[in-house]
Amino acid sequence: MHVAALREEVAVAPAPEASGMARLLTCGSVDDGKSTLIGRLLWDSAAVAEDQRAAVMHASQNRLLNGEKVDFSLLLDGLQAEREQGITIDIAWRYFETPRRRFVIIDAPGHEQYTRNMATGASHADVAILLVDARHGVKRQTRRHAAICDLVGIKRVVLAVNKMDLIDWSEATFRAIEAEFRALAQSFGFIEIVAIPVAALPGDNVVRRSAAMPWYGGPTLLDHLEALDVSTERRDAPFRMPVQLVLRHGDFRGYAGTVASGCIRPGDRLVDARSGLGASVRRITAMDGNLAVAAKGDAVAIELDTDLDISRGAVLSEVQRRPINADVLEARLVWLAETPFDPEAGYLLRTATDLTPVTSMSISALIDFETLASAPAHACAANDIADCRVLLGRPTSLDLFSHLPATGCFVLVSAVDGTTVAGGVITWAQAGASAVGDNVFVLDRELLARGLCSDLGDSPADLAEFHRRAQEAAILLRSVGIPVLIEI
Amino acid sequence: MTAPVSHLKLLEAESIHIFREAAAQFRAPVLLYSIGKDSTVLLHLARKAFWPAKPPFPLLHIDTTWKFRDMITFRDRTVREFGLDLIVHTNHDGLSRGINPFDHPPSVYTDIMKTQALRAALDAGGFDAAFGGARRDEEASRAKERVFSFRAAGHRWEPRRQRPEMWTLLNGRLGKGETVRVFPLSNWTEGDVWRYIALEKIDVVPLYFAAPRPVVTRDGQLIMVDDERIKLEPGEKPELRKIRFRTLGCWPLTAAVESDASEIDAVVEEVLRAKYSERAGRLIDHDQAGAMEMKKREGYF
Repeated sequence: MHVAALREEVAVAPAPEASGMARLLTCGSVDDGKSTLIGRLLWDSAAVAEDQRAAVMHASQNRLLNGEKVDFSLLLDGLQAEREQGITIDIAWRYFETPRRRFVIIDAPGHEQYTRNMATGASHADVAILLVDARHGVKRQTRRHAAICDLVGIKRVVLAVNKMDLIDWSEATFRAIEAEFRALAQSFGFIEIVAIPVAALPGDNVVRRSAAMPWYGGPTLLDHLEALDVSTERRDAPFRMPVQLVLRHGDFRGYAGTVASGCIRPGDRLVDARSGLGASVRRITAMDGNLAVAAKGDAVAIELDTDLDISRGAVLSEVQRRPINADVLEARLVWLAETPFDPEAGYLLRTATDLTPVTSMSISALIDFETLASAPAHACAANDIADCRVLLGRPTSLDLFSHLPATGCFVLVSAVDGTTVAGGVITWAQAGASAVGDNVFVLDRELLARGLCSDLGDSPADLAEFHRRAQEAAILLRSVGIPVLIEI
Repeated sequence: MTAPVSHLKLLEAESIHIFREAAAQFRAPVLLYSIGKDSTVLLHLARKAFWPAKPPFPLLHIDTTWKFRDMITFRDRTVREFGLDLIVHTNHDGLSRGINPFDHPPSVYTDIMKTQALRAALDAGGFDAAFGGARRDEEASRAKERVFSFRAAGHRWEPRRQRPEMWTLLNGRLGKGETVRVFPLSNWTEGDVWRYIALEKIDVVPLYFAAPRPVVTRDGQLIMVDDERIKLEPGEKPELRKIRFRTLGCWPLTAAVESDASEIDAVVEEVLRAKYSERAGRLIDHDQAGAMEMKKREGYF
């Protein structure tokens, strides 16, 4: 195919949306045959280069396999430590394409001790392929995987019932598993569930239609993935663009960001929810020329007719349906760090582009993702799913995750070492409930510079030490029950 | 054969987002510019991300003195054309010790002239973030790489200490002694890079296009004779063959492929039909099992 033709294809494409790419999360455990399924998908759709094929064939011979000729999982296991342990502990990204679509495979581990890895991988996916072993059907783990997918906002699910060859291609068993899954999935917000009977090792219904299951009239896994609609946005979604930075060049002053939802055109009114200031869009600029419209996913710069004096962290939105200018929120989160939650430690709330100090935070419940029951709790640690309440040192613009995912999610950052300790979705938020008042002790630069940090100068090392002391002082104050806000 | 292209706009937007996130969060970023097709796309995206302003960071090229001559010409022209700041760093100590790709094993040569040189240049510049053109589809250990890849003091990459990245939230808050490598092309494939070059009409080093060039065959690999420093074996004689490169690095370590693809459309088509993965032409990766992972741990890219 010639490039001239490629360009034509672009020109006639209906919209520059995500339709050209689908991000697939594969979940299931090693025993369910997940690596084999992905390997088979890559192998049969010709996404494996000859030298990789040769390497896999060669390595397969070095392993003891139950009579299998090719170990497809060798295509996937990346890091040396993992190869030695024979397990997948991190997320691996794979890319392949067919004439119809470009795919990203996000391969996340299935074991319970890797819930955090799975949640992380799932947060990037358009669709989840939930793998179950036909011999064992829906397990507690399947429910947990579905719950994690739902938590991070996945709306489409494929239930791949694998190893059909080991149950004599039984339609009755397949239907029973499908029915059981559909029943349990009612607790979640999925908009589409498709069940497909497959046998990954021999390759039935992965890419090649199975001759062994004439009773199945649906698509093969690849057919379904190629045709899948991955858009999730409602037609009338309100406009949001979190400002990443302000671009200045001569007289030009543009607010740069990626549109998180909705769309905007020159002349439209915008507002910064935090300051309440409004302006009209003068131009939407890009290196290729000015744009007539900017929609969800577009990385643009917006020039306004009046200077709002806003910076990174502001969310430009439409005037009518604004984000919540919140300083108290409730959220469901997955704890990612090895270090457990510590109510006295300092945390920062990282939303789309804002970083807001947390003055106090508490855990209210832990969720058992296999039974979906919640139990009151005050602590949480790695791989836990918890409900929490967060008070912020100042208001920030955000939305509820169920309403607008891109401006309703966050990660929690350790104020001490900068690590990402949790990821969460906002379930409730309110303005003015916890505004910094008499009961919050503000540790500001002047106060610290006068005493505790009077020996420090302006060098990067001294500034780092300044921050470290501020955090340590805050930890001591919080430990005796004083809410603290660091403002330096 | 058809080739999807509608996802390229999505990849472009994602990369621009990453550039802006890094520029907003890090004090002193730098763009690692290696002159190849990935660096070229990286630079194009950087220009888009900050347009009409220039990218708010300099380019850094680690020059081993063994790059193809066409690459250096292209580099200097690009920098001039776009009015960019370029830092060129060479490990002069290694050079004076006579370290070269013919007499030393690829792992030793790469460590001294590339990895050590890169670490020294980053330290000398006080950079806390370095943009690189690495893609996750290149090699198995890169398939698990983050977009913000944190490096402990000494630029060490510890796979187990990488930060989880959820949604499009990129946390750039550095811990003590930490620096970060930023990979805006993480989700691109080689096919995407070439289709994007065609779509955006981006200029690349001419070596990517087939032309008659002098080569010798060593261990089944075609090595181009780019200057007189090559040490010909007895009976070895350069011959003219129509070749091009899928990847560019130090010329004694970069194998060519025979090809008739002399313009962009033909290259795109050839890449999309390729039977061999891209890094098969890079001699340094074949040195030992898990070679790339070892190099990464030591601070190579």
